[in-house]
Amino acid sequence: MMLFAAIPNPQAAGQIVLAILLAAAGFFLMLPKPRGRSVAGGTAALLAATAVVAAWLHQSFGEPMPDLIGTILFWLFSAGAVGFGTVLVVQRNPARGAIAFAFVILSTCGLFLLLAAPFLMAATIIIYAGAIIVTFLFVLMLSQATGPSNENDRTREPLLGSLAGFAFVGLVLFTLQQTQASVDPVPRTDSAGHPKMSAPFPAPVLTPAERKSLADAVERLRPLEDDDFYSSPLIGMTGLERTDRVIGVQRLIEDVVGVSKEESMIHDGSIRGRLGGYRSDPQAKAVLERAAAVRDLSVTTFRKVENAIASPSSRKDIVGAKEAVRKLQEEVRLLHGVGDLPARNVGNIGLLLYADHLLAVELAGTLLLVATIGAVAIAHRKGVSP
Amino acid sequence: MITLWHYLAVAAALFGIGLVGFLTRRNLITLFLCAEMMLQGVAINFVAFARYHGNLEGQVFVLFILAVAACEAGVALALFLMLYRRDKSLDVSRWQALREVGIPPTLDTERLPTPPPETADPHLIPAGRRPAPTAEEAVRV
Repeated sequence: MMLFAAIPNPQAAGQIVLAILLAAAGFFLMLPKPRGRSVAGGTAALLAATAVVAAWLHQSFGEPMPDLIGTILFWLFSAGAVGFGTVLVVQRNPARGAIAFAFVILSTCGLFLLLAAPFLMAATIIIYAGAIIVTFLFVLMLSQATGPSNENDRTREPLLGSLAGFAFVGLVLFTLQQTQASVDPVPRTDSAGHPKMSAPFPAPVLTPAERKSLADAVERLRPLEDDDFYSSPLIGMTGLERTDRVIGVQRLIEDVVGVSKEESMIHDGSIRGRLGGYRSDPQAKAVLERAAAVRDLSVTTFRKVENAIASPSSRKDIVGAKEAVRKLQEEVRLLHGVGDLPARNVGNIGLLLYADHLLAVELAGTLLLVATIGAVAIAHRKGVSP
Repeated sequence: MITLWHYLAVAAALFGIGLVGFLTRRNLITLFLCAEMMLQGVAINFVAFARYHGNLEGQVFVLFILAVAACEAGVALALFLMLYRRDKSLDVSRWQALREVGIPPTLDTERLPTPPPETADPHLIPAGRRPAPTAEEAVRV
């Protein structure tokens, strides 16, 4: 058993195997068979499998829940999707199966909404609602339910089929468990110091501390945009105090993004130190690029600011410094927000679709046209004139 | 805390359940719905990774999946209609003549359960006396 030998946590592996076997047995018992099926036994086996999976998930991913409503909604929707999917597969009557499929779609749309995809939610409901109604009409038209029939009461290889399907699920769960530790740039541990499986949304490319100091830097850059900071004597700060304050902000940013090569100091910053080994990961690469942009911009910006403080009478210097500070603030904000997908992203999907994927959109349209023609050609009744 | 792996696990479960249904069921329409459910599992994967990486490429891909699923639905339902016209049945095993050479045919050995015999409609015995027609009723008739 090489597979089991390679698994670091054999207890979790045993739990997955147990859950898979229970689920396969449950499906085998519940699939329609001429000799009758055992709904009670199948339901019991499936509930047991669900309990085992829940225990496994709680044991390996469980954490105190900071987002209670999101967690409850997630479990609600995922239980709905999986439960109604089970009903669709084991239900004898295809019309009831179609209704169960409608509920699977609704639950999936709830998951889409939790994943910040409102447009997909709407599109899926609209498209599948139409498709399900048409399918439902087909069921009503084609299968007059009078007594038992071959297609509804017989099942091809119920045991082997269930085992094959759930073996696939088990392998995917194994793979998830095996790969999670190696792709997490921010190592996480629980209170006892054991590594925890977690890849929270968004991807953990920035640590909470880095996020906090970037937000702090944005706040402290704000007064630098004001005219008063440079010229007004009312604030009552000497040039030295102003310079100190500017250097404080500069330190804050440089601790995160590092110092530019033009300076003679060697300081990589926390992002580069942590993500340097993850260059092949596209997201880590994007963060590194953004950090490099902030680093280069911060050098020129703070030089301009210092010039402006040194010569408070030069109007041109002050305007240039303010402009540079505004730009730097934007860049720092962008770096702070990396990985955050705003929920209001419908317009951006349209932009992406028609700017980057125009050819694919056209191809999809052509495919729809061809499918329409094909459907008409296939369903056409030959030899019958209208 | 709900993480990426939770969504991936749900997606895998949906895909696997759809796979079981596709492998075992014999009604063409149920097969079609099971295939659509597998597509939904894949779509959850894409959207979860889009959220994880903070970009929209995954969502765009799901849009194309939707387009392909719509095409598939149209063509599949037209095919079902044609097959039903030929054989008056939605059973996939009717077309097992299309199987690979050298594979023995699957035969249904077990007998289908006989439906319970239909009971005749209950016949009510008239009871009591017919009321005498009143003058008003005669006028109305």
